[in-house]
Amino acid sequence: MKTKLLAALAAMVLGAAPLAAQAQQGPTLRVGMAAQDVGRLDPHFAVSTIDRVAVAWMFNGLVRFRPGSINPAEIEPDLAESWESSPDGKVWTFRLRRGVQFHGGFGEMTADDVVFSLQKAANAGSSAFSADYRAFQSVEAVDPYTVSITLRENVPSLLGLVTNYSGGYIVSRRAVEQRGADFARQPIGTGPFALERVTPNTSAEMVANPQYYRGAPQIGRISYRFIPSDASRDLAFQNRELDLNYGRADQTWVNRARQVPGSTVDVFEPGELTILSLDVSRPPFNDIRVRRAFAHAINRQEMVRWRGPDVSREGLSVVPRGYLGFTADNGLLPFDQARARALLAEAGHPNGLTVRVVHTQLPEMLNGMQVIQQQLRRVGFTLDLQVVEHATFHQQIRQNLSPLVYYAAARFPVADIFLSQFFHSRSIPGTPTAVTNFSHCNVADSQIDAARVSTNREEQLRLWAEAQRLLVENVCAVPVMETLLVFARRNNLDYGYELKGSMSLGPLITEQTRLN
Amino acid sequence: MIGFILRRLLASIPTLLAVLTLVFIIVRVVPGDPALVILGDQATPEAAAALRARLGLDVPILTQYVRFLGAALTGDIGTSMVSGRPVFEEVGAVLPHTIDLTIASMILGIVVGVPVGIWAALHRNGPIDVAARLLSLIGLSFPVFVSGIFLLIGFALHLRWFPVIGQADLSDMGDRIHKLILPAITLGLVMAAYITRVTRSAMLASLSEDYIRTARAKGVPWRRVVWVHGLRNASLPVVTVVGLYVGILIGNSVLTEIVFNRPGLGKVIVGALNQRDYTMLQGLMVIYCFLIVVVNLITDLLYGVLDPRVKAA
Repeated sequence: MKTKLLAALAAMVLGAAPLAAQAQQGPTLRVGMAAQDVGRLDPHFAVSTIDRVAVAWMFNGLVRFRPGSINPAEIEPDLAESWESSPDGKVWTFRLRRGVQFHGGFGEMTADDVVFSLQKAANAGSSAFSADYRAFQSVEAVDPYTVSITLRENVPSLLGLVTNYSGGYIVSRRAVEQRGADFARQPIGTGPFALERVTPNTSAEMVANPQYYRGAPQIGRISYRFIPSDASRDLAFQNRELDLNYGRADQTWVNRARQVPGSTVDVFEPGELTILSLDVSRPPFNDIRVRRAFAHAINRQEMVRWRGPDVSREGLSVVPRGYLGFTADNGLLPFDQARARALLAEAGHPNGLTVRVVHTQLPEMLNGMQVIQQQLRRVGFTLDLQVVEHATFHQQIRQNLSPLVYYAAARFPVADIFLSQFFHSRSIPGTPTAVTNFSHCNVADSQIDAARVSTNREEQLRLWAEAQRLLVENVCAVPVMETLLVFARRNNLDYGYELKGSMSLGPLITEQTRLN
Repeated sequence: MIGFILRRLLASIPTLLAVLTLVFIIVRVVPGDPALVILGDQATPEAAAALRARLGLDVPILTQYVRFLGAALTGDIGTSMVSGRPVFEEVGAVLPHTIDLTIASMILGIVVGVPVGIWAALHRNGPIDVAARLLSLIGLSFPVFVSGIFLLIGFALHLRWFPVIGQADLSDMGDRIHKLILPAITLGLVMAAYITRVTRSAMLASLSEDYIRTARAKGVPWRRVVWVHGLRNASLPVVTVVGLYVGILIGNSVLTEIVFNRPGLGKVIVGALNQRDYTMLQGLMVIYCFLIVVVNLITDLLYGVLDPRVKAA
């Protein structure tokens, strides 16, 4: 009995030692995030920045954006070594990398896990991103290392749906089935870091995955700390208690952070486009003259000066710049207060107009709206802001209680996603397929639909440009500005790549990342 | 004594039920959809409906209430809708931090507030009294998020005596105490300001009583008159204020927790409210109410110790 116990103990020690020793070899990266806690670390439910940043370190997709880039043209192999598509673009075959291990002894990643993951991502009951996968007809395992995806109709970027973003992450089927609802707090992926534990309201601790297929990470651990107070987080960074600090997209913050000795401020893509959606289905914005007056009243340059030229830029279309299909050649109405006043008078409002608007109390959005409010006041629009708590705002704008909606968003960098979610009639709140079309516009439906299924890239780009011109011409929404992401890091933190963008909304920490 | 405690605990059950019912209804009446918070802004109505069904939010509110009460009676107060973690686990992780901060602030408040209040009362309208009143006014007027930041800049950033991140390792008592000092000073000084004012006015009232004059006429030493006869009677309002303030402190220390990056009950309550985490809020209220009941019970027991007439009644 005693011998068995000793043997078991020895086995435990010997079995555990290599992992622990290897995990502790590298230094600990301390990250400060502006959040109170993580939400769900099941990647298919990771919708907030705090969750998205973390799951990107723990999971892989079949393909990935080259670290530091959000350019879809630079997508490269990840869990899939290679892929090919049928001539009509409706059948895609991915050949998987062999020997990739899941964290926690959950075994080798196979086609079965990939099929399970993509079906999970496409299911409304098990994913927040199911709408992205509507075009999926079937996902099948051809053999343990080959997966075939069949589409009902063409999509602008199939690779975008299987990349390291939103629903594209691959999870361990066995772990999901074994852990059930607990998977959200005990996730199992294949990434360079594995979750060790989450201390509620304090931190998430991750350890390096020594079996990571690209090589063991050079950083041993990540301490992912939840510090909601900007002032305290900045003080902690100044005090060298953090190596990486979530920053505010604000010029004053950036200037101050740049003064911290031994540190660097990274400003990177994707830009979050702020648009003002005008509900064209009811007064006062059912009158095109009122909408045009509104558009002429918005001074984008002033908004950029207010937010800061290093962290923001003018919104030039109803699609963020840099997205595949973006065009600035869309007839965007210029800032012109005299023209705005004249149009308002022409529309029967010579003494101005009051619009009751529901808006969030979230400071960065409220401050922006207050600047807009002042700009509009100069031409005769009075915004009667009904400031409500953020969750209430999201509910009420989806109940069509606000004729004007200030909304900021970044999406997968292909025009189709933004156009479909914000401007297609299928996405109008109140419809069964509602997303975020607060303008109730449908003027570009046919162009958006045709572009989505087109297999001719030139034709697709032409249709997306036409859609943008129609939406701008009809003033369904007014683009305001694009706000970039900001993080500050100590100079001894080397990402191992040049950070120009990150779809996970935070720097990727890879096996190449070093703390010198 | 045991009978008294049991009676008080039994009497608290209706209060607990009333609070729970109110919280249950209020969180559901307030606009804001937990499904939207969890699924984000790209979720379809279909996904939101599926999640609501999984969370049990698709059934009538009365059914939800009965389910909740039934589970609560078996000791199950549910799992967080947002994180999926059991509420007990979430609260258990932060409660020791809250208790540490509450007790430390209370001790500091009493240790500073009571002597200063007595001193001010004994030197009524003199420079000491004026200074004490002024300082207590400043203490009450200064928001904790400002005093906390000042303390962090001075003692953490410049002197480097304390860390900015106050998330203590609960298994390390030294670390726990070290990271408690600045937050306890921040909250304790506000409490001291309250206690100073109450002690001062209670002592002034007590020292003007006939029995004090009698005691002095009988030649009882002044020190004994103040500390035994005066203070004992002045203690009742002080204990009342401390009891009330401790209750407030448990839930309202959120700003201190945020500034010093400490986990705590206040922060969890605010987070659950923002995220419309119904189950978390309900569970938190059960625990919060229980703590308030315990604090009130201790306050009542202290009344009996300080004034035997209360015990007899």
